[in-house]
Amino acid sequence: MNRLTVPGCALAGALLLAGCGSGSDGSSAAELSVSSSYMPQPVTAEMAAGFLTIANKGGTKDELTSVTSDAAGSVTVHETVGQSMKEVKALPVPAHGQLVFQSGGNHLMFENLRRQLKQGQTVTLKLHFAKSRPLTVEMPVKSATYNPATGH
Amino acid sequence: MRKKTLAVAALLAAAALTLSACGSGDKGDSPVAVVSEDTSHKAATVLDTPFEKPDLVLTDTHGKKYDLRAETKGRPTLIYFGYTHCPDICPLTMSNIAVAKKALPKAEQAELRVVFVTTDPKRDTPSELGTWLKGIDTQFIGLTGDFATIQAGARSMGISIEPTTKDKNGKTVSVHGTQVVAFSPKTDGGYVLYDQDATVDDYTKDLPKLIKGENP
Repeated sequence: MNRLTVPGCALAGALLLAGCGSGSDGSSAAELSVSSSYMPQPVTAEMAAGFLTIANKGGTKDELTSVTSDAAGSVTVHETVGQSMKEVKALPVPAHGQLVFQSGGNHLMFENLRRQLKQGQTVTLKLHFAKSRPLTVEMPVKSATYNPATGH
Repeated sequence: MRKKTLAVAALLAAAALTLSACGSGDKGDSPVAVVSEDTSHKAATVLDTPFEKPDLVLTDTHGKKYDLRAETKGRPTLIYFGYTHCPDICPLTMSNIAVAKKALPKAEQAELRVVFVTTDPKRDTPSELGTWLKGIDTQFIGLTGDFATIQAGARSMGISIEPTTKDKNGKTVSVHGTQVVAFSPKTDGGYVLYDQDATVDDYTKDLPKLIKGENP
């Protein structure tokens, strides 16, 4: 059910990579890396969103199971379903694919920030997976209107 | 139920597109055409038949009665329905407008009315709403009140919102509107729609026109 409601673009990207990445078949372990991470400068210290892309070069799928950060009381993983958002327990990182968090789609939700975060600062977070070792991400705080497509 | 069906349809469409993009056959023309349509996406949609401004009398961030029609009559007005416990689209939409507004001459900034109507009046009290909006633009107007009234107002502008509910884990789930509607200072009609993909640049380019009630 969760899979059915993953936004089309993220899913298309994942399928595209999964479908086209026919280079190395087989069952190599998941090989995860993170890119394009940012947090739009939040309005208040009550909550913030975070976005990033987790790529998997390996031949085995993995799952993002939780996210932790010293910067916030809690970090949860959300999917956007229609005009509302839904907390999910885990999201798949497909083999030879990627899990995309982007505005309007999946996002990380930071609640009860320890301090008001401003553009130029960095938030450290840890991504936990079902199989792979945790990844630490230094997420830059960008402007409130940052658009990754244009880079400003 | 309907949402689910739509999501599945979108998924099928995405899968279909993806498959055709990956297809190793060489009927490559049609996917290319689809892509080029996408890139010509325009932020503003000018309506043939404008919406009437909803007859909403709500409470502003100072706890005072605010009659939307009376207060914004003859003013260029942007209206958006959202909630403050919204990490992504609501603050992005309002911040995009705030940044674009700062590019206007001071006098025009004072003319413009930007109205944020909460879809989550239980949590968005006048003071909560006030604190949040102050973090975005001190001139923005925040309105709260009875949900049914707000929902009816939104519906009259073609915007569908649902009441805040609790999910299985007891987490609160609210819903925001999908569009910003611009009302003309000349006719007080809601004549331009912006979806959530509208950027700072889109608003910066269009606001000088909207201020005059012209088509962007």
